[in-house]
Amino acid sequence: MTQSPRASDTSRSEPRRVLVTGATGQDGSYLVDRLADEAAEIHALVRPGDDAATALAERHPDITLHTGDLADATRLAAVVVAAEPDEIYHLAGISSVAQSWQQPVVTGTVTGLATAALLQSAWEFSQRAGRPVAFVQAASGEIFGDPDSSPQDESTPIAPVNPYGAAKAYAHHLVGVYRGRGLHACSAILYNHESPRRPDTFVTRKITRTVAAIARGDAQELVLGNLDARRDWGWAPDYVDAMMRAARHERADDYVIATGRAHAVRDFVAAAFAAAGIADWAGHVRTDPALYRPVDATELVGDSGRARRELGWAPTVEFGEIVARMVRADLDAPMH
Amino acid sequence: MPRALITGITGQDGLYLSEQLLGKGYQVYGLIRGQNNPKRALVERQVPGVQLLTGDITDLASLIRAFGVAQPDEVYNLAAISFVAYSWENAKLTSDVTALGVLNMLEATRLYAGDDISRVRFYQASSSEMFGKVQEVPQRETTLLWPRSPYGVSKVYGHYMTINYRESYGLHASSGILFNHESPRRGPEFVTRKVSIAVAQIALGLADGMSLGNLDAKRDWGFAGDYTDAMWRMLQADHADDYVIATGHTHSIRDFLDIAFARIGVDDWSGYVTVDPALFRPAEVDELRGDATKAREGLGWMPTVSFDELVAMMVDADLATQRETASRPA
Repeated sequence: MTQSPRASDTSRSEPRRVLVTGATGQDGSYLVDRLADEAAEIHALVRPGDDAATALAERHPDITLHTGDLADATRLAAVVVAAEPDEIYHLAGISSVAQSWQQPVVTGTVTGLATAALLQSAWEFSQRAGRPVAFVQAASGEIFGDPDSSPQDESTPIAPVNPYGAAKAYAHHLVGVYRGRGLHACSAILYNHESPRRPDTFVTRKITRTVAAIARGDAQELVLGNLDARRDWGWAPDYVDAMMRAARHERADDYVIATGRAHAVRDFVAAAFAAAGIADWAGHVRTDPALYRPVDATELVGDSGRARRELGWAPTVEFGEIVARMVRADLDAPMH
Repeated sequence: MPRALITGITGQDGLYLSEQLLGKGYQVYGLIRGQNNPKRALVERQVPGVQLLTGDITDLASLIRAFGVAQPDEVYNLAAISFVAYSWENAKLTSDVTALGVLNMLEATRLYAGDDISRVRFYQASSSEMFGKVQEVPQRETTLLWPRSPYGVSKVYGHYMTINYRESYGLHASSGILFNHESPRRGPEFVTRKVSIAVAQIALGLADGMSLGNLDAKRDWGFAGDYTDAMWRMLQADHADDYVIATGHTHSIRDFLDIAFARIGVDDWSGYVTVDPALFRPAEVDELRGDATKAREGLGWMPTVSFDELVAMMVDADLATQRETASRPA
């Protein structure tokens, strides 16, 4: 077995070639911004006919778009061959737990099996080209399911409790398999991470958008599921930074990326109303049992000690400030 | 109140069809793919009466669930990877969605109908791209199919599968062989909309030209709203059948450019248009011109919007949109 090749190379003369899946999502958009700043040659996988891809190309005219769908393994292999990447960031997938209950089969294909196609293609390309390829998988704290212990770290048993977590767990394990095969493959076990670019299908953005609308007088009520659900919420650009560090670290590994502190949905709601200048918010919020998850992990908190030690990573934005930034962005840009 | 389930609800035809069905008093359900679908908001804004159900035509389990909720009397399968150029890059995906997706929909329909196959009617959106290398002009329902792209091949599969479910199970399943049909809601990747957007931008000083493929390619272009009306008529007929839906007249991209630029007062558009060979199709289809005699006689269907009116409608709509975008503060 050869030593895992080193993916970082500070003396490079040609621009780094980077393939990003999920480039139109929250994390992908921050990642593409960072890569553009360092003049990387960016290749993005986008769905055929996706309007968001047009917007991406307008923001970054030098980006190379490859149409393709994660459900089409044949196409994924062709895109890796065309991109000839030094780094692959695999961020795309069904990213909603609720969605995964409605479509477990598609979730398995898109979030699970697609990772196998990309890893195999990356490994084959690395062998053929005779140079290292760094692969970063965006894994999720959901792979731990409803853990016995808190906080979780890289040694916590993987025991997902929903189809999304199960698909992510499959992908996570396969990253380890390909690392054993010699690929610089890393799994970044990302806990919840938010920003004004979060879509409003996520509870955090739903809260900040609705609170901003209430503050403006455009809405009356915020309807939510379980207010006691607790999550470890971080700032999305910090998590993108962690994935870049993992790709370029001398040794490939898995890393929990988290703040280490949990807050309840209720705390998020309170902070959001406070940021919008509304002190007495109880009358604006109603809970609907239909919005509860079938199985809800009560407390997911990550211990990012390894990432802090090995990658020199640390979160830079604390909870209250994340919420305030999201609310401010929604107050500045009213929903249509 | 009749109930309809529409796939491809976010597309041009899905929007027109759902509008028309809502107008006739239908309860309309639309199947929408995936989370964060950027087009969900568009559907909710343009046809707020439609109930959206999450599902994917590559996933039979999700279809069975959607049928259970929608309890449809009529099913319109409009979903597809519909852009021919993409179908070359994404041949496998096109086959999974545009071909096998039809089988999934037919199976879901049959399973939902159970012992009474007559309780539901099925419409399949077939395409003139199935004629590809045309064997006769104009094309009619009996013309030999000769598809020339993964999209066309996939549509042929869906077409024959629809016929087989009709002949083998007795399902009221009709296939509409629709020739090109356009509107202000056409996706911007299609050449007609690409032209109407660019012309509007040129008129407003927001662009200085456009790059196109083969200007001599000729198509039989109709108005989408007329074509969705034909779909509904097929499912009201006593017997299911196959129908060509077309205007019977062809025009070149050049003709389209003439009318579009005339709309903004430009007679000589040659300075605004560059031809890029990279945009040519690997295998261009020949003259696609449809003979809709059977639909006219059997369904009483006729196109109501002329080519000139269609182009003008598209340019005017894009002028309005571009003006609004340009005046919106950044």
